Amino acid sequence: MAIFNLKKREIDCKIVYYGPGRCGKTTNLEYIYKAFKKQVSGEMVSIKTEGDRTLFFDFLPIGLGKLKGCDVRVQLYTVPGQVQYKSTRKLVLKGVDGVVFVADSLKIRYEKNILSLKDLQQNLKDYDLSIFKIPLVMQYNKRDLAEKNIPLMSIEKMERDLNQQLKVPFFEASAITGQGVGACLKKCLMLTLQSLHKQLKWG
Amino acid sequence: MNNKVVFAGNLNFINLAELFQILGTNAGTGILRISTQYAPNECFVYFLNGNLINASMGTINGIDAIYSLFGWMEGEFEFTVKTVTNKNIIQKSRMEIILDGLRMLDDGLIEKIGPASQKKMSSDSFDHKLSGVPLLKGPLVDYMYVVDEEEFFNGEEIVQEGKHGGWIWVILEGIVEIIKETPKGPLKILRITDGSFIGSIASFLMQSNVRSASVRAAGTVQLGVLDSQRLAREFARISSELRGIVISLNKRLKKVTDCAAETWLKNNDTKKIIRDRKPIIKQGENIGKLFTITQGDAAIVRSTNNGHVPLGILHEGDFFGSIPFLDMGHEPYSASIYASDNLQTSSLDSNRLLKEYKQLSPTFKNLIDNITTCISATTMVACDLNKKNSPKKQG
Repeated sequence: MAIFNLKKREIDCKIVYYGPGRCGKTTNLEYIYKAFKKQVSGEMVSIKTEGDRTLFFDFLPIGLGKLKGCDVRVQLYTVPGQVQYKSTRKLVLKGVDGVVFVADSLKIRYEKNILSLKDLQQNLKDYDLSIFKIPLVMQYNKRDLAEKNIPLMSIEKMERDLNQQLKVPFFEASAITGQGVGACLKKCLMLTLQSLHKQLKWG
Repeated sequence: MNNKVVFAGNLNFINLAELFQILGTNAGTGILRISTQYAPNECFVYFLNGNLINASMGTINGIDAIYSLFGWMEGEFEFTVKTVTNKNIIQKSRMEIILDGLRMLDDGLIEKIGPASQKKMSSDSFDHKLSGVPLLKGPLVDYMYVVDEEEFFNGEEIVQEGKHGGWIWVILEGIVEIIKETPKGPLKILRITDGSFIGSIASFLMQSNVRSASVRAAGTVQLGVLDSQRLAREFARISSELRGIVISLNKRLKKVTDCAAETWLKNNDTKKIIRDRKPIIKQGENIGKLFTITQGDAAIVRSTNNGHVPLGILHEGDFFGSIPFLDMGHEPYSASIYASDNLQTSSLDSNRLLKEYKQLSPTFKNLIDNITTCISATTMVACDLNKKNSPKKQG
């Protein structure tokens, strides 16, 4: 649940990038941090965790307007995938407002994607959140690797594997070049704000 | 609003990460004071406009003091709005401190400090990093009860199993090992440190007390001799019900320790224990009642992934059930009770016991808590020994 800061007239909400290890969550956030530098407030925090990194920064989306006269500030996070980091995961997922699930298009990562999505569902459940209700966007990352003749899964297959029941918006992306990254975040932000509207019964 | 506590609470409700975030979003300027009964020093964290600028805990300053706070599972905090004049020695951002602190906690780089029940959580998926022998820390020492100090050096025997003795010590500084002598050689059960007690409440009883385990110094140890007369007087004043509970609790620690040793020697006949008795409290059951045994006996058994682990057999005068003020990691939540056919019990008023417990002196309470913590930790040891005995029986 978003936090209202009446002093600063700001609404803080939390968007989390989730996905299997090495799927490109960190690259997503690094790209956003660089490409939208003007909208970023404060430094990017990067914590080295085993096999992965946890990133965090504050983001002020432009062009989404105000909510009831309050600026919207977004905290962007990635979550370390390893089981042992349960304290970090708890902090990050508690009160999460929106999720971008980054799936790896590489054929060999087929199973890792599915396991990670199940893991997300369980972790959300632990905080009384439902994967079917939370604002969620799918990102099929690493599409650029097709040009290098690396075997990728087709979008149809990924949709079938991951999105058949969820039916959430999906984006093809290449976090390393930035393609699809902005659109994906924007969609997630919109869904998050709509959901906030609904939760607060504003109109 | 200067020099006033504006925000206070307990860390087991709002954890440190949340607390820092709340103070951050409110751009608080002032001093956050945090204390816990499990650590000797309280910690002061200085905030300027929601950012952490300095901290001190005993002799530790700055960021290191803050990181060690992440291991505190329980503790009281209060925030005072105040102009802070402390030097800004912390350069890291709030979120970086939070995320890094939690990472270090998860990586096991920060010591978790809290009641033993916290550690119990991971007992089934026992972490092998612990080298098998848990280290228990006690609460703060109340020096009013310390009448003399003694020093022991590495390897020196403080107490010898089987010998008579009535002294009770509290550890002021250092680590001691609790060792059970067995036919297969000595078995290290626990390591205890600052604030924990050596010796048992049984010394207050008229009978002479036989030491149930040996205690050896690991490194130099500073002990405080407790005023046993004063404690014995307090012990004599409490109601016979509470006294019965304390005595039975003490016996239970001895039983669990014996069971751990038997498990190590593979002498336990768990099947027979269960076959001859029927379950009356199932592990995990929500039972708010407390009983004492007037006839027959009852066995405490914990079921784990590696089968049943016997934790002792209770006899006439012993209690079982749930005690509101004690969590020893046994029945009803973490062990079952199997009763003999001729078991008869009478029930105890746990609310009255709770009221009486609350009025005890801090040292006496600590003594009781210490027994419970040791029971809980020894149970973990017994379960772990059992696990080692049955390697991968059920995956």
